[in-house]
Amino acid sequence: MSQTSPNNDASANRTLTIKNKHGMHARPAALLIKLAGQFKSDITIEKDGTKVSACSIMGLLTLELYHGSEIIICAQGPDANEALDAIADLINRKFDEE
Amino acid sequence: MSILEISVEQFYEAARDVCGLEIVAGAKHMQRVIREGAINRPGLALTGFFQHFPKRRVQVIGLAENSYLNSLPPDQRKERLGELFRRRIPCVVLTRNRHALPELLECAAEFNIPILKSPLITNRFINDATLAIENLAAPSIKYQGTMIALRGIGVLMEGAPGIGKSETALALIERGHSLVSDDLTVLRRDSTGAIIGSAGDMTRYHMEIRGLGIIHVPSLFGVASMRREMKLDLVVRLEHFNPEHSYDRTGLVSQTETLLGVEVPAVTIPVAAGRDIAHVIEVAALNQKLKQLGHDAAKELDEKLVQTLTRRVRA
Repeated sequence: MSQTSPNNDASANRTLTIKNKHGMHARPAALLIKLAGQFKSDITIEKDGTKVSACSIMGLLTLELYHGSEIIICAQGPDANEALDAIADLINRKFDEE
Repeated sequence: MSILEISVEQFYEAARDVCGLEIVAGAKHMQRVIREGAINRPGLALTGFFQHFPKRRVQVIGLAENSYLNSLPPDQRKERLGELFRRRIPCVVLTRNRHALPELLECAAEFNIPILKSPLITNRFINDATLAIENLAAPSIKYQGTMIALRGIGVLMEGAPGIGKSETALALIERGHSLVSDDLTVLRRDSTGAIIGSAGDMTRYHMEIRGLGIIHVPSLFGVASMRREMKLDLVVRLEHFNPEHSYDRTGLVSQTETLLGVEVPAVTIPVAAGRDIAHVIEVAALNQKLKQLGHDAAKELDEKLVQTLTRRVRA
């Protein structure tokens, strides 16, 4: 994911803040994984230097993302920007929880 | 009491083994219909009291009824039995293998009503016969699926032909679990609302493995590899892995399958090359058992997470 891909796929980063009250518990994690799985790009989530795949539920839960946590989302692939837009939207919508 | 329609013949066939039933008289009239799923001891009726007499039920003449009839003078005995038979009862069963009184046989012939007998004592007969009638009356369906008894958990595997239900069943049998039915399972809903699975009488103990044909499971794997019937606890849907389809990743969303009006917990397992499906099903069954005991791992972890993450915010 961090290594350069053979084709000239775009790579994009975005810093976001978790906004829902209960943070990244199982339901939001499942929503995020479902969304991330719809894109061709490799997507990772990073917090305090720990980077996990956006397709790993155990990885996401291990990050212990709570309300106010800052994360860096990185997407690499042909639809990197669309992926980041969609994920940013989901997080900013507070995972439709509140 | 629910209305049903079971012929005396069907009842006889179903209860013959458990109750040791034999036909004493009226073998030609076995098509008479039992319309209520209970057994009646016609003590009061024999004294001549017929209010609320449940004439649609199987009538049992046990020790007490027989002694009472014997205590009557023959003409009165004939008259009382006539009153009973005139009400078009489905059949009469004599328990403890009592000989039929001549008056009883006369009535049976006159009213075309079969007489059966059983070696059991009356109470025992009533219990076993009621259960037999209940099973006959239980709603049932034939269902495309393979059923396994897995450490006390009944698992029904369903999925498109060729997805590997039988092969998975074979792998589970090799791990010490028991086969209930291969490919076609008879499901019935018992009086408690549980779904009970069993194999069809003809195919019981057999399964078909593509490339091998039909095999006899207990000959190959021993008697413990078969189970006659099993309560259904979990439906496992096997499907070809579809990258477009999003599979449940948390287990928080509970799936069910409605069978005979009963909601049965279900899981969908994607089959992909290299996955040990038998092992996944074993774990699914154990996890279901844990849930039945009140432990839902996904829910508990989620609650713990919500608690921890919410506390972090306040800190």
